[in-house]
Amino acid sequence: MITKINEIAREIGREIKIMEVCGTHTSAIARYGIKSVLPKNIRLVSGPGCPVCVTSQHDIDCMIELALQGIHVSTYGDMMRVPGSKSSLDDVRMKGAKIDVVYSADEVKDGVFFGVGFETTAPMTAAALKRQVAVYSVHKLIPPAMKLLVSEKYGIDGFINPGHVSVIIGSDVYKDIAAPQVVSGFEPENILESIYKLLLLIKERRNEVVNNYSPVSNEGNELAKRLISEHFKLCDSEWRGLGKIPQSGLEVKDSKLNAKTIYSDVLKNVKAKENPACNCGDILRGILEPRECRAFGKGCIPERPLGPCMVSGEGACRIVFEND
Amino acid sequence: MINLSHGSGGKEMDELIKEIRARLKSPGEWKGADDDAAYLGDIVFTTDSFIATPLFFPGGDIGKIAVCGTINDLSVMGAKPIALSLGIVCEEGFLKEQLLKIVDSISKVCEREGVPVVTGDFKVTEKGKLDKIMINTAGVGKMVKPLANSGAKPGDAIIVSGPIAQHSAALLAARFGYSPIESDCGSVKDRIFSVIQDINSAKDPTRGGVAAALNEISEKSNVKIVIDEESVPINSDAKAVLDMLGVDIYSSASEGIFVCTTQNPEAIVRKLSGSAVIGKVESGSGVFLKTRVGVRKIHKPTGKLIPRIC
Repeated sequence: MITKINEIAREIGREIKIMEVCGTHTSAIARYGIKSVLPKNIRLVSGPGCPVCVTSQHDIDCMIELALQGIHVSTYGDMMRVPGSKSSLDDVRMKGAKIDVVYSADEVKDGVFFGVGFETTAPMTAAALKRQVAVYSVHKLIPPAMKLLVSEKYGIDGFINPGHVSVIIGSDVYKDIAAPQVVSGFEPENILESIYKLLLLIKERRNEVVNNYSPVSNEGNELAKRLISEHFKLCDSEWRGLGKIPQSGLEVKDSKLNAKTIYSDVLKNVKAKENPACNCGDILRGILEPRECRAFGKGCIPERPLGPCMVSGEGACRIVFEND
Repeated sequence: MINLSHGSGGKEMDELIKEIRARLKSPGEWKGADDDAAYLGDIVFTTDSFIATPLFFPGGDIGKIAVCGTINDLSVMGAKPIALSLGIVCEEGFLKEQLLKIVDSISKVCEREGVPVVTGDFKVTEKGKLDKIMINTAGVGKMVKPLANSGAKPGDAIIVSGPIAQHSAALLAARFGYSPIESDCGSVKDRIFSVIQDINSAKDPTRGGVAAALNEISEKSNVKIVIDEESVPINSDAKAVLDMLGVDIYSSASEGIFVCTTQNPEAIVRKLSGSAVIGKVESGSGVFLKTRVGVRKIHKPTGKLIPRIC
């Protein structure tokens, strides 16, 4: 497969920029050392598929504010160390705020759950809503973000589409994104094969979607999609680094369970302040690679991160830092 | 402020320990202060403190880890353990029968290994000031052959004495209510002494796992280490749990195996069932992993990893 990739990359000749959207792909690519066997003219960049990374600073500040007000907050572990404007959930937990780290939304019994993630985790948050747990939702949808990246012309030649998200939403939804795409699984051989198939589409300039991950069907998982539509409605969403993307987020339908409504008095005074030294926005758009960020490895390291890309297990910067 | 990463066996802990050691000033004639145990002539001395959640798990309990951990630290230094001290701090309200169960577990290990607990201490804190129980053991041993972390040489093979990451997997499986996985908690004394003449450096990969252990050997010996992923033994149930929880298998703790470097791998693999050659030592620096398709660096683990494992 590596020989075939090398051949076709040579035929294409120029630099080819492939974006792998999904954080788990970024992680698998690093874990197996895939970049070490790709030809030099293929540039693999990570996209905004790390849900922790694209959560806006304002939303993190809001959750910190809830915790500081004494509200019992639950979250996935990754969110704990992401820097807000002044501190992080981890910092306020050490000072005594009641914050629980959970591996699954199933573990949440009361208080407010920080609903982070894409279409993969949204069904589980929906199940928590069904159990009458209040949720602060920052869930986001992948296809609108991909459409934005194509329309803004960041020079992306093709996409490796997410695996788990596609299991939920199916592969048909990607058809109206004008770019070559291959839905990939996570085993290294499968990823290499997906890269090869994508290069074929790029060479022939075919804006098609090829499904290379067997658990993914055209329509996706109907039960999960139903759960999502029962408990969430579409809304505009603020993506760190990409700005506001219309109809790209999921808002809790039931206002009695929507933490943004329940605690609107507390939250209306929260004003985020972005750190000018942090370049996560450019990383998430594939404009900068981690090593090209001036703060990478110096002012920004996993122990003292400036932004989410260095915190999250699926963050592009953290992955480069730990694997290269 | 001290945070959980300072106790995880990764980079932050290393740096804090360096800072503490600098303030404690020179250990005089004692050597190996930054190794698994310190030694003066042929007296070897080490200590360790243990917290674990849950306290009782398949394959052992906090008592068993507490004594095996110290016996192992002495053994991987190349010292025959002679005696242990036992310090216990309990939270008010801790059940006496649980305490005695833990003590019985300690006693069983001591009898089997021929290493007695000869001195100890017991304290109680108020409810809420400690999470159930904390155990400290210190151990004294007699040096047989010094196995410093600085002893690895280019050309050496790297051997692991059994499947990795088993203890972390066992505790996580217990914490999350998955099907029980047995911890590898146990003494490596007899196994390591059966092959000690062929070993030139050894470590037990507890907190921080094989990643931390190999990075230490690489740094202290000034060598490059390359591991072949396909050769690393790991039980499939342990791998499944760790993969599912997104936990790096190389940073996950073991409590009953050791890694070592040797110029005579065939002799060791022949004598130690379950052991495997997993890589080699070369000139250079850093620890690298050859995967099925490429190569990546294995860094010293950072961050919280898995708290309350040992």
